[in-house]
Amino acid sequence: MRSAIEGPDATRRTLLKSAAIGLFAFQLGGVDAMLSPAEARRRGARLKILSPAEAAQLEAFGDALVPGARKAGIAHYVDANLARPHSQSLLTARYLDVLPPHDAFYKTGLAALDGAAAAAFGKPFAKGTAAQTNPLIAAMLPGQITPWAGPPAPLFYLAVRSDAADLVYGTRAAFEQLNVPYMAHIEPPSDW
Amino acid sequence: MTGKAASSTDAVIVGAGAAGNLFAAHLAEAGKSVLVLEPGPAWTTGDLYSSLIWSRRLRWGGPAVESTGGHAFGAGFNNGWGIGGAALHHYGTWPRLMPSDFTMKSDHGKGLDWPLGYDDLRPYYDRIQEEVGVSGDAEAEVWRPAGAPYPLPPLQQFAQARLLSRGFTALGMKTAPSPMAILSQDYKGRPACVYDGWCDAGCPIGALANPLVTYHPRAVKACAKFVTGAHVTRVLPGRNPHEAAGVEYVDASGETRTALAKVVIMAASTIGNPAILLNSAADGWSGGAGNSSGLAGRYFMTHSIAAIYGFFDGEETENYLGVTGAQATNMDHYPKTALGGGAFGSLQWQLAPTMKPNDLLGVAMARADLFGPALTKFMDRAVHHLAVMFGFGEGLPVAENRVELSGRTGPGGGRTPRVVHTFAPESVKLWERAAELGLKVIKAGGASEPWANPMANAHMMGGTIMGRDPKSSVTDSYGRSHDIANLFIAGPGLYPTAGAMNPNFTNHALALRSAEHLLAHWPA
Repeated sequence: MRSAIEGPDATRRTLLKSAAIGLFAFQLGGVDAMLSPAEARRRGARLKILSPAEAAQLEAFGDALVPGARKAGIAHYVDANLARPHSQSLLTARYLDVLPPHDAFYKTGLAALDGAAAAAFGKPFAKGTAAQTNPLIAAMLPGQITPWAGPPAPLFYLAVRSDAADLVYGTRAAFEQLNVPYMAHIEPPSDW
Repeated sequence: MTGKAASSTDAVIVGAGAAGNLFAAHLAEAGKSVLVLEPGPAWTTGDLYSSLIWSRRLRWGGPAVESTGGHAFGAGFNNGWGIGGAALHHYGTWPRLMPSDFTMKSDHGKGLDWPLGYDDLRPYYDRIQEEVGVSGDAEAEVWRPAGAPYPLPPLQQFAQARLLSRGFTALGMKTAPSPMAILSQDYKGRPACVYDGWCDAGCPIGALANPLVTYHPRAVKACAKFVTGAHVTRVLPGRNPHEAAGVEYVDASGETRTALAKVVIMAASTIGNPAILLNSAADGWSGGAGNSSGLAGRYFMTHSIAAIYGFFDGEETENYLGVTGAQATNMDHYPKTALGGGAFGSLQWQLAPTMKPNDLLGVAMARADLFGPALTKFMDRAVHHLAVMFGFGEGLPVAENRVELSGRTGPGGGRTPRVVHTFAPESVKLWERAAELGLKVIKAGGASEPWANPMANAHMMGGTIMGRDPKSSVTDSYGRSHDIANLFIAGPGLYPTAGAMNPNFTNHALALRSAEHLLAHWPA
């Protein structure tokens, strides 16, 4: 990996290390465990806010937007954040002026997506093929998806796409995969 | 709910952002007892993790702000939460306003005039830049108004800035290093920047002038008291309508409390200040505290953003290095009518902000329309070959653009704010012309496949505007309420026009001027 850093002492980057522990709390077999969303998904941790069907749909939608989001645990990531107080949420919905409660935003958005899928190809979104779901997704950002009975489709698209991008592109491991130096001042407490 | 026993201080400051901390430091250092009430948490530099995911904790986490209008304002992205406020995650891009920004109404018959001119503010800009450390090249900024040279040389530039500057040069335009409140060299016990581009997540080493390393430590050292988790609900009336007794707030445990003070300083953000004033209706304050003009909340302004992207294939743009603000600037089209074609207002270009792969300003969001394998392909190329520059366009002051109270309630039963914003037609035209110009520039620099993204906005100003006439403004030039002698308002909400400059340098200069005026004219 190339280094283009010149000038001031770059070793300062790594001098400040966080001792904080910031993984999310998930339930495994009735016991709380601090896990990354990917681990939580792999180990079948219980969801607190989303139903299994909603989680499956969010995984399908997230993975269609940003390949890799399913494996990275998008459903568990969103679920864990929805279970937190709003002021501690790390979801992009917080940036996008989505009015809380955000669980309603995700649940009604997913329901609207299923409604559009049912109208377009007679199956839930998660059961559709790429050829069936891609036209629906492409119609979301321009606000042309119909029928749509949920939060504004462009907003829902941007929020879930950003959640997926956080997990697939925003971690240290993702930076390394993209050959982008991470260069942390303070290591984030969780690399998801 | 019953209130706890009232505390009493010389000054109560609502909000611990840039202006609140500056006021707290100066007042406390002058021997005044100071209480600062902040709704968010008490961050330390150790909380500023290098992650754009974690950085969202620094954004507004209080009662929801509704945002609506033809060009809805991004309240969640721009507001701060906790000690440091929005300045904790700001990018440290610190240009001064131009003299023409203060006289728009006189010069053009549009918008408003400020009750002070550039020359009144100039010495405060000079002193602030010396106090906190600003890096730049005053001579290279041929547009820069008179003022002391920067105390520090410019920041280092990387490939992205050099590549984008080529386009400006090709069209006979100039570029200069951006003036940044980020240290290019060690300065007054703070270390120099290491160009890792995590400014958006907060700068834990203190190279960027966030309040945690500038005025907050001074305020604490001088014994200002900070209370976090404190939601101020209203200003309390004093013995007559021209006096405030203090403020009411709901503390972290949910108790309603009263903080009495000789002076009340509202520094709760451009949105928070008018919301609290409007929630403070009482006998003699029928439209809210300090609102006899009916203008509390009015003239809310923001900057449009023309985001111009292009690929430099065959070049490593190093777009992950540098600073989140900008590496270089161009202000050739700052004069209000320079762009022509029906556009009105100033334009400032900021070149080569750092792009991390994710987040709103990140690489993935540069093409929000892409998804699936097309996004994967785009990312592989863009993280090493994409370049971006932002044109910040002035939004004209329009009275209908406002902070008002919504139908929702927050802590203590106060109504939460709603921001209503639509750019004036001349401001929309300014953005269109800026996007056209930006595409021309980036093409001239050799970029391939250039594109302009849909209009975005950033920065918040107005809503509690200053002026000479109590009928057409909320405060005087020091931020003192025209109606309530011991009520001061601080922050960019005071600006009668927005200019096209990032607001925090002017925010600091105004706050310093006001704090010193207050101390020199302390209420009997």
